[in-house]
Formats: sequence, C-alpha cells, structure tokens
Amino acid sequence: MKADVLTDNLKKGLSIAFRAISTRSQLPVLLNFLLEAKNGFIYISATDLEIGITTKAPAKIEQEGATTVPAKTFLDLISSINEEKTTLSLSGSQLILSGKHLKTSFPTISAEEFPKILNEKGKKIALIKTKEALGALSRVVFAASQDMGRPALSGVLMKREGEGLILVATDGYRLSLRKNFMPLFKEGDIEGLIVPSRILRELVGFGEDSEEYDFYVSKETNQVVFSTKDVVLVGRLIEAEYPDYKKILPEDFETKAVFDRSDAQNAVKACSVFAREAANIIRVAVGKNKVVFSSSASSVGENEIDVEAVVEGEENEIAFNSRYLLDFLSSIDDQEIDFRMMGPLNPGVFRSPKDKDYLHIIMPIRIQG
Amino acid sequence: MDQKNSELWEKILAEIQTEVSTANFLTLFKGTSLISFEDGVATIAAPSSMIIDLLQKRFYEMIQQIFNKYSRSSAKIIFVPRTVVLNSIDTGPLFSTPEKPKSIGHLPRVRRDYTFQTMAVSSSNQLAFVSASRVAEKLGESYNPLFIYGPVGVGKTHLMQAIANKVYEDDPNSKILYITSEEFTNEVVEAIRTNDTARMKRRFRNVSLLLIDDIQFIAGKDRVQEELFHTFNILVDNGAQIVLSSDRPPTEIQKIEKRLLSRFAGGLTVDIETPDFELRCAILLIKTKKFSFDLSMETAKAIAEKTEDTRELEGMLLRIITESTTRNAVPSPELVLQVLGTEDEKSASFHPDEIIKNTCSFYGVKETHLKSPKRDARLVRARQICMYLLKKELDLTFVEIGNLLGGRDHTTIMHGVEKIERMISEKKPKEDILGITQGILRKSLDN
Repeated sequence: MKADVLTDNLKKGLSIAFRAISTRSQLPVLLNFLLEAKNGFIYISATDLEIGITTKAPAKIEQEGATTVPAKTFLDLISSINEEKTTLSLSGSQLILSGKHLKTSFPTISAEEFPKILNEKGKKIALIKTKEALGALSRVVFAASQDMGRPALSGVLMKREGEGLILVATDGYRLSLRKNFMPLFKEGDIEGLIVPSRILRELVGFGEDSEEYDFYVSKETNQVVFSTKDVVLVGRLIEAEYPDYKKILPEDFETKAVFDRSDAQNAVKACSVFAREAANIIRVAVGKNKVVFSSSASSVGENEIDVEAVVEGEENEIAFNSRYLLDFLSSIDDQEIDFRMMGPLNPGVFRSPKDKDYLHIIMPIRIQG
Repeated sequence: MDQKNSELWEKILAEIQTEVSTANFLTLFKGTSLISFEDGVATIAAPSSMIIDLLQKRFYEMIQQIFNKYSRSSAKIIFVPRTVVLNSIDTGPLFSTPEKPKSIGHLPRVRRDYTFQTMAVSSSNQLAFVSASRVAEKLGESYNPLFIYGPVGVGKTHLMQAIANKVYEDDPNSKILYITSEEFTNEVVEAIRTNDTARMKRRFRNVSLLLIDDIQFIAGKDRVQEELFHTFNILVDNGAQIVLSSDRPPTEIQKIEKRLLSRFAGGLTVDIETPDFELRCAILLIKTKKFSFDLSMETAKAIAEKTEDTRELEGMLLRIITESTTRNAVPSPELVLQVLGTEDEKSASFHPDEIIKNTCSFYGVKETHLKSPKRDARLVRARQICMYLLKKELDLTFVEIGNLLGGRDHTTIMHGVEKIERMISEKKPKEDILGITQGILRKSLDN
C-alpha cells in the first residue's frame, strides 16, 4: 500500500470516523482505523460493532492495499503536524507516515482482522435535509437512554404519522417528541423503526458538513444507513417493543407559564450548584407573574432565583432533577419556553412557542412539604 | 427461541468461553442466541453485521465443531443480525406512573379492595348489586341516576366504590369523581368564597361518572342543592352516569328542593337491607381472605351471631385475628366467645338476684336490710346503686325493681336511679359499680 494524501483531507476523514470508536471496546482491532487505499481514495473506517462509519479522502494511489492503525495516536499525530501533504506506506507490519520533514511509524493489525462494515444499504426510504434534521434531532436524541440494558429506550422511535415522521426518545424519566419531521420520502415506508440514539447523535455531531443524507433501511441485514457523498454511517435497528408514549402525553393542565429560555437556563445552572449536593432537586414554583427556581442543600446553602413569566391558571409547585432541566434547556435555542403542569406528581410539559411540533416531558421528583 | 435451543446454546457458550479470550467472548458472543436448529441448519442471531463478520472470519470452525459435538449432528451454521430481547424490560417511572398519579388524581379515597368481586351477595343486597354492575358496564345507559339507600354498614359505599373501580379498571382514562356530599358542599362553599366557580364547575361537569356518598347531608343547603341540580342536568345531558347513596329513600329526605328530589328518583332507586345471618358469614369469610387468615365456618358463624352491622363485624373480626395471633391460638367459636362474649355473658349471668347479692356483699349489708324500709346512709347508697344496676344492666321497669327491693314505689326507684346517674361522673360510685359487676363476672367465669 502506498498513497499520497492532503493532510487536511485525511484529518477531516479521520476525525469523522473517530466518532465510531469506543474506548470501551475490548478488542484491540476495534481501537484501530481501517485504512484502505483504492479507486483514488483512502477509505477510513471505524466501528465499535454497534455502529460503523466509513468515510473517504481523495488520494493519489500508487499501490492499493489495506491495514489498520491505532486510531487515537494516529489522529492525534495527524492533527498536530504541519505538513501539507503526507505519504502513507506499508513496510512489513509498520505503517509509515512521511512528509517533507517527518517520518513516523505505527504498529498495525492486519486488515483481515477488521470487521467488515456492511455496505448493503437496502431500500432508500428517504432523503433528509440536514438543516431541518439537525434542529429536530438535537431536540429529541438527548432524551434517549444510554443504558444498553434497555434496548428499546436506547433508541429513537421513528414512525410515519400523517405527512411526516414522528420522532420519540425517552429514558423512562423524560421524553422528547417531535412531530412533522419531514424527510423527502422515497420508496417504502417507515412504520415504526427504533434507530439507535447513538447513530443519530453522531449524525447531529457531523453538523452541517453535508446538505442532505440518504436514509436507507434494510430489513434483511437489520440495518439503517445514513449516507452522504463522503460518509456512510451504519447501525443496526433495534428490535424491541417501544413503550406506549401516547398514554403519557398529558391532555390537561392547571398551570401554564411562558418564560425566557436563557434566563431559565441560567437560573437552573445557578441552582444546580446547591442541587448537586441534594440529589439534584430543583423546585420550580409558579407564582403570579414569575417562576421561582430554588434549591437547598442543608450543609451548603440555598438559592432562589426569579424568572419573569406570563402565567395562566393556578399557582403551583413542582420539583425536577436539575440535570434533566439543563439537558432540555440547552437542547434548544428558541427564545421562549412554554411550561405546563398539573399538580406536583404529574409530569411537567415543556414546549417551544416557536416550534409547535415539539414537546418535552419530565417526570417530577416527589418531595415532602 | 425455545427452551431446548437456549439450553443447548448455553452449553455451547460455556465451552466457547473456555476456548476464546474474555474480550472476544464478551464482545462477540455475549449477545448471541440460537434461534432455530432444523434440517441440519443452525441459525444463530448476533446483534450486528459487524459482529457476524468477525464471528465468521475467526470462529466459524470452532463454533461449528463445538455445536456439532453438543448437538450430535453435522450442522451448518448461519448467522442472522438480530437482537433477541428476552423479556420485557423496565421502562422507567414515566411509563409506570400513569396508573399511580391517575389513581390519585381520579380515584381519591376510593378503596382498591372495594370491588364487585369482594362483595358478598345475598337476597338483602342482590338487586342493588345487579343494578350497580349494570351501571358500571354501561355508563349512563342503564339507570341514571342510580340511587342506593340503606342503613349504616350494609355496604352502600362498598358498592359505589366498586362501580368506580370497575369503570377505572376498564378504562383508566375515564374521568371518575367519587366524593362525599360533605366534600361536595365544602367545594361549593370554597368556590363561592374565592369567587372561582368556573373551576369548580369544570371539575364536576367534565366527568363521565359522578358518585356522591351520603347525599342526605345536603338537606337544607340551598346553594349546594342548586349547584348539584345544574351539575346533574349537564351530566345527564352529556350521557354521564350519576350514582348517589343515602341512608333513606329520596322521598323521605327532608329539606331538599322538589325538583332535585324528582331527579334523584328519576332513575333507579334500590335499597340494601341489613345483611342476614348467612350474608354476614359470607362477608366474614371474604374479609378473612383479605387478611390471609384462616377462619372456619363455625367460627364465622359465632362472630356473625354477635352483630348485624357489617362495619362492626369487621371490627370484631379484627379483634379475633389480633387475639388469635397474640395468643397463638387457632380461632374457634370458643375464642370468639371469650373475646367477644363479654356482653352476652353479662346479660346472661346478671340475674337480678345476683346483682342484689353482690351489691350486698360489696357494701357488707344484709339482703333483708336492703329490702327493708330502713334508711341508714350506708343502706340507702347500696340500695340506690342496686336500683341503678338493675335498671342499666337488665333494663327492668321501675315497678319491677321496686318489687324486687321489698315493694318500693316506682317513683322511689326513679329518684334513686337518677341520683346515681348524676353522681356517676364522680369517682366513688363509679368504682363501686365496677367492683360489683366485676365480682359477678368473676364468679360466672369460675363456674
């Protein structure tokens, strides 16, 4: 294997693929990048066996070939060198990276050892516009469970509803829902897929690198694939029954408060200082024309912050886990938040007046007094 | 994945674990399962195509060899990407709570154990039971309102709450409001006081089942009746069901507006009678099951003989249960007699002669003196206490008591009893009376 590549292109490719690497992987080969030189590109792949990413960097190939190198060190090195162009070549079991002033060698593991990231895409069911997708996904994905022991909750439910898709994510303590997510539908239909939140999180992480994604689903290989011109993101579908989210969507409310999001975010952040010491509990009291966030930790101190609000209905009080409040408040960038509640025991409902299709629910914490 | 396959695969995995490194085993084999094995083909599920690729590349031969060893075959192995979710998993409080907050929000103060299943039925309450179950099945269609009346402790509340529980069980989303008429009154008053009747109206008029217990207490409360009247009309128009209970039939409730009364009686009015002996036994047996306690039929009968009120029945049962657990004795009719029997024995053993005899020995006076016209202070006190006891314990007439105590006039007896009654709050006569009655009791127990 021998190839010349622009350092910047290689760096970009590596940092995208690096997202698929999990430091928890126990097999050495999974901590490596697979580098394949062929067809005028260096293909870079990485996987943790749950998701896989393949991307490519244009290169001048002198000799085709493939190998794997330790991902972390390789990426760190490429990010810190100052060479415009580098040459990759294989010498025995070493990968030699050389530039004008530079010569580095890396130990390798044979490319044979590397799990194949399946390229069978299956049916192309939709085309997703990045701009719209990022906003919607980032409001939903964070609510999914990170606990692989609960497969259904570790995914995001995508289901056709009316003209668009509905996205739902929950970890059993909070839930995010976004209706009317509008991809351009192609073949087939989406009648209820649970896509690993991990893969969507990475998709959000790519930012607006590409304008649109193709969305493929293959029932035979049980895979979902998101692909752009340069990147292929592969994951497996989760086969599990998704909990009935409809039954927990509150219909009625006693109290409604509309307030500024960033004010609330700052208030919650400040309260978190004490809440950290007291099971993360933040009390939210809706008063006449304000919402009071407060926290107290007996040995540390207590704190109370007012946020101006337009209030309808009764005065009310509820308590939430500060982490969930912060996750939600930082997941969106709209200016206002519409908060509704029905007593201290029913889930609190958060909306954005700007985004009618969005809904976030947080389970309250029961408190005494 | 059937049992046989999973057992087979478990054995195979155990052997594979000894062959491969821990890292490989955990990463590649942990999520696998044997989903079918037929016609010489074993289908193994693994979570992702990447894992399958590695399994095929590195371990195919080993897996096949071990598989064939255990299955005694020469099978071909194929892999499919699939995660087998074993059992339904915990979905967290958000999904488990709807039952809870709703039961707090929708069925406050409705006891879960008051259901149709836990209700004992006999001829005294059969009609009420049947109509209540009809109502619970077809809200607003059968009898509207259902008016249940009967004396204390016959199961009116049980029946109403059974309706609420049944409707809630069939559809936890249905809006049910169970309320006593006192609470209803309080809410109306509160709403008028805070000038917020809109909220109260929303609360009462948006339900599909409204149950008001002890409706007779709204008698004389005009504003409450007016509110109820309008609520009533709106609910009936909306096809919502109304269930009311009272201690007397609608026609006998005083101080309630005519238009309201005629609406009460507009549906079905059923009464529950005092439970008969058999029903009381059945109730006892049902209640004991709730406390997971064993009660023989004979014991149940013994308790049922003691009272007619079902609430008192439950209290007695509880006493028996506590007694038998503390004494570590099997509940028996004898135990019942010992624990609950006091009242009975009292009246049985308190023969008038006994009372007179004991009073005399207590005060150290002669019976003949007690019955004589002598009026020593000590004698008078003893005589009056005796009159009091004969009246209170045996409920004899004043004339009878007068005859027993040496032919005294009934007005004398009246005066004596009244005097002790006035003094009874003082310590001394009270202690005396207790001493006498206990003396009689002790004697009867010794026999």
